[in-house]
Amino acid sequence: MNMDKPLLKVEGLSKTFGGLQAVQDVSMVLYQGEILGIIGPNGSGKTTLVNLITGFIKPDKGSVKFRGRDIAGWPPHKIADLGIVRTFQNMRPYYSLEAYRNLIVPLNSPRAKRMGMGRWGERDTVALDILEEIGFERDSFVPYKKASALPTGYLKRLELARCLALKPEVIIADELFSGLSASEIASLVPLIEKLQGGGITFIMVEHRLRELFSLANRVIALDFGTKICEGSPKEVMANPRVRQAYLGPGGSD
Amino acid sequence: MEIIVYGIVNSVSLALMALGFTLVYGISRLPNFAHGAFYILAGYLAWVGIRSLNMGYIVSVLLTIFVVGILGMAMYRFFLIRVRGMPISEIIASYAMGLFILEALRWKGLKGMTFTLPVIYPGTIFLFDVPVDYQRLLVVAIGAGIVAGLWLFTKFTRLGLALRGIAQDEQAAMMLGIDSDAMATVATGLGSALAAVAAIVLLPLGNIVVEAGYQVLIFAVAVCIVGGLGSWAGAILASFIIGFAQILTVSYMQSHFQVVVALLAIILTLIAKPSGLFGRQKQLEERV
Repeated sequence: MNMDKPLLKVEGLSKTFGGLQAVQDVSMVLYQGEILGIIGPNGSGKTTLVNLITGFIKPDKGSVKFRGRDIAGWPPHKIADLGIVRTFQNMRPYYSLEAYRNLIVPLNSPRAKRMGMGRWGERDTVALDILEEIGFERDSFVPYKKASALPTGYLKRLELARCLALKPEVIIADELFSGLSASEIASLVPLIEKLQGGGITFIMVEHRLRELFSLANRVIALDFGTKICEGSPKEVMANPRVRQAYLGPGGSD
Repeated sequence: MEIIVYGIVNSVSLALMALGFTLVYGISRLPNFAHGAFYILAGYLAWVGIRSLNMGYIVSVLLTIFVVGILGMAMYRFFLIRVRGMPISEIIASYAMGLFILEALRWKGLKGMTFTLPVIYPGTIFLFDVPVDYQRLLVVAIGAGIVAGLWLFTKFTRLGLALRGIAQDEQAAMMLGIDSDAMATVATGLGSALAAVAAIVLLPLGNIVVEAGYQVLIFAVAVCIVGGLGSWAGAILASFIIGFAQILTVSYMQSHFQVVVALLAIILTLIAKPSGLFGRQKQLEERV
């Protein structure tokens, strides 16, 4: 990672739902090429933060700067067009379409066309290439199966594959590891490292701390919508406020 | 035999009226309550083209389909876009547009028996001893053609597949860089153009009157609710169910029960299976 190249800069981001302060004055920096982990107990505002950055919901206050340009409040498709794409916590593939055809939606987007991800007629091949890169055996029947028939492990990969179809700069993975077995996660980890090596920057929102800490370069911890701690995985794990947030008061030893 | 032949004709007519409405709702979850108004507007524009401007049948018809499509796009771009995502407001706003169009046409003098569109090919043939005019056969042919065309489009073309993807999960599509407003504009344009096609083949069978606009809207809504909102297969099946039910009431009761049948179908569906025949259950919303 490149500590002197901030790619995404979030400053003073806040969002209230009714009387609930979902995200409160959160600031953070994402450096080019790193994997940034975001952790926090249930309801701590992780997904809301992701939704704010990706334009899913509009912030009440604060700014999100991508390469110096304020993109807070932009519509989602414009943000995706800049190369900031996300996966969904509860996977959202197009269930009635075959796996490779799931990539046709993103491959038809303006960004994919601009980035040269295949012309008319080549897009099926491009889709199969991306799926192969992400672990769908090319000569098997798996890429041709309907998404509704795929097991969770493949659906998670399909979420990533749809992001890759846009040649993204930043992938925001919302609980990519949830619902997967330890061995499935073990097979995803090298894949993410490979993508990072290929120049993609990651924000990973996770509950599976051990796996995340082996991957992430830096970690941010949230609780009740505020940032309580930031640092290397080791530092965050040792932080008493983080332990308290996860284990409750008195569980800090 | 008569019931079967006219049942099919009536069912396909309903499907033609409803397809544009279903298409817009299916792709963009937008209930276009101005659908019936676009239908009548298309009839009026075609009439103006043929009778007042003497532009010839083919030119008038093609121009009408094009203009109504553009008007549909404009309606989304300039009005509905502001209330997007608020279903009640979408219904009220689009219905208001429809009211405006229809009542403006009435004010311009669109009433009575003077406004009719010509049939494409006059004459009648006998099918299984039942007299059917060519225009009704044309209705069935065009209806079948449009259904087949839409099916092939969404099954085999990439744009069609992309639209199907968007229809399944618009938010996910937005996250993948697809502009949902652009897609909704295309959808309302296509839907309005389909309303125009329906008007041009169906209106020669009657008069171009404002009331028919309201009736078409009721039929379209009934077909979509019975079939399951946004489901094309459901809409076609529902057209046949309601279509045959209407013909049966016409044969055994009186002809003015047609609208009653449609409304009754809505009520029965909402009681027995609110999501309709092929309605999909909503996915769990993303946790915030």
